[in-house]
Amino acid sequence: MALLRAHELTKTFGSVRALDGVDFEIDEGITGLLGSNGAGKSTSLKLFLGLLDPDSGTAEVLGQDARSSPDVRARIGYAPEHDCLPRNVSAAEFLAYMAQVSGLPRTAARLRASDVLRHVGLFEERYRPMETYSTGMKQRVKLAQALVHDPVIALLDEPTAGLDPLGRREMLELIRRVGGEFGISIVISTHLMGDVERACDSVVVLDAGRLLRSGPVSGFTEETETLEVELLDGADAVVAALRGRGLEPKLDGRRLTLEDVSGEDYDTLRDVIVDSGAVLYRLAPARHSLADVFTRDGAEATREEAAS
Amino acid sequence: MSSGPAEVFDLGYRGYDGERTGRWARRNAIWRDGIRISLGLGRGVGAKVAPWLLLALALVPMVVLVVVAAFVGPATNPDDFELPSYGDYYGYAMVPLALFAAVVAPLLICPDRSDRVLSLYAARPITALDYVGARWASFATVLLAASWAPEAVLFTWNVLDAKSPGSFLRDNWDVVPRFLAAGALIAVVLTTLALLVASFATRRAYASVAMLAVIFIGSAIGGIAEENFSGGAADAVSLVGLPQAMTDAVHWIFGDELDRPVSGGVSALWLVGLTIVLAAWLVRRTNRLVRG
Repeated sequence: MALLRAHELTKTFGSVRALDGVDFEIDEGITGLLGSNGAGKSTSLKLFLGLLDPDSGTAEVLGQDARSSPDVRARIGYAPEHDCLPRNVSAAEFLAYMAQVSGLPRTAARLRASDVLRHVGLFEERYRPMETYSTGMKQRVKLAQALVHDPVIALLDEPTAGLDPLGRREMLELIRRVGGEFGISIVISTHLMGDVERACDSVVVLDAGRLLRSGPVSGFTEETETLEVELLDGADAVVAALRGRGLEPKLDGRRLTLEDVSGEDYDTLRDVIVDSGAVLYRLAPARHSLADVFTRDGAEATREEAAS
Repeated sequence: MSSGPAEVFDLGYRGYDGERTGRWARRNAIWRDGIRISLGLGRGVGAKVAPWLLLALALVPMVVLVVVAAFVGPATNPDDFELPSYGDYYGYAMVPLALFAAVVAPLLICPDRSDRVLSLYAARPITALDYVGARWASFATVLLAASWAPEAVLFTWNVLDAKSPGSFLRDNWDVVPRFLAAGALIAVVLTTLALLVASFATRRAYASVAMLAVIFIGSAIGGIAEENFSGGAADAVSLVGLPQAMTDAVHWIFGDELDRPVSGGVSALWLVGLTIVLAAWLVRRTNRLVRG
């Protein structure tokens, strides 16, 4: 059973169509909800939390309609993009309180609060007022409050927003740990493709309220039939020799690419490099990137719109 | 006995598979948090000054009066020293209680708004009504206790001071439900009004000033209508003076006869109706705030 399921989900705000009949499912693991600003990511999260009513379609959480009962939210965690922490309260007190509001008894809530703060690396600082925390520490508390009641799935809206490169890497590693060791499925709403490539198993790509693609991240970054060759010396000679054998390499500095290569082309390339005396630095099939999804699928959508 | 070097074990992440509470327990958590905020419990000294000072202003005068009555009363002429009536003391206590509502009630909502914590409540297994209902109940609880305590002190003294406490209780038992009802009326009106006003402000100071403005401007308009005009319209306008309306309603509850243009019963009905409207507005407003 999918943890989250959007079926023909449509939501408009005035004349703006935030979501336009999207269908997708989110299973266990870490999933990236990827899209630019206004793609419909935050609207999707709010629909799954039952905070918005869809114009049509359904948003299902753990097999139930998200609006059916607030009790559905007992097994969901949520960390919004914006600041949401009270200033003059300690992280330990706040998390224990949030755990109780989420349905944990008092004693269990206190224990869970300390435990989760330890896991996110804030055990020593847990009794300090949160107004004294750095941005990175606040992001960790936001994550901790989303996990304190041990949800089945946690929805994190832009969890790396405002973090420096080191803080961003640590947060993504923490999210990988939550999704792996903790066994809590995660949905990251983000516009950063790097975050998805680094942390997620699957991705749902939204663009202007429409579903662009969804599936495993590995499927988006699979090998292509283009070969990338990097030569330290003798690149011009190699290019000339390849052209002499009927191939059409493209040269960009010391890096050349060969498109639509077959098995024989590998042998030809090997022979040419050996014969020319060029120094081979790297040879590998090129991989797709998530960025290609936007350029490729975006171009297709533009063509379809023009045709219609 | 020998002991080896201490070791720290990383137990790893442990999920929670214990009991999960229902909606009432979750509401109860918000209610307890509201009580703590209202009284400044678990906060610094600064957070305790205003609530405890104002609550003391409502309670301490009655305690002092009873102590004076206990030690000085027997030696003086009964005509020279008389304890206030139940209704009269409510008339006095209403001032510190209204100030308490204006100063402290915003703490229950304004920080949640300004720090944007409401979005986290929205994602919890509760509704906006659960949130505001629990907040309302917590503040009303504190106000009820502050309203009833001095009246309970007065009633207890009157029982102990009577020549026959048993017969006093038999003859005056109805005072208890009356002072409970009068205190409840004051607490419910002030709580609902103060939280509604607070729901429109993100800063506590603005909410406090707005609440005081509603009370004082209403009193001024009501006073002008009562002093300078007559007739049904003037009587109706005079009801916007909430402290006066509450005082009239309290005296009506105690059965005191007052020469007022609007009867205490009408004032009580007006306050009940007004509170229902304000409560509905508060729920609607909070629903919008919580759902963002």
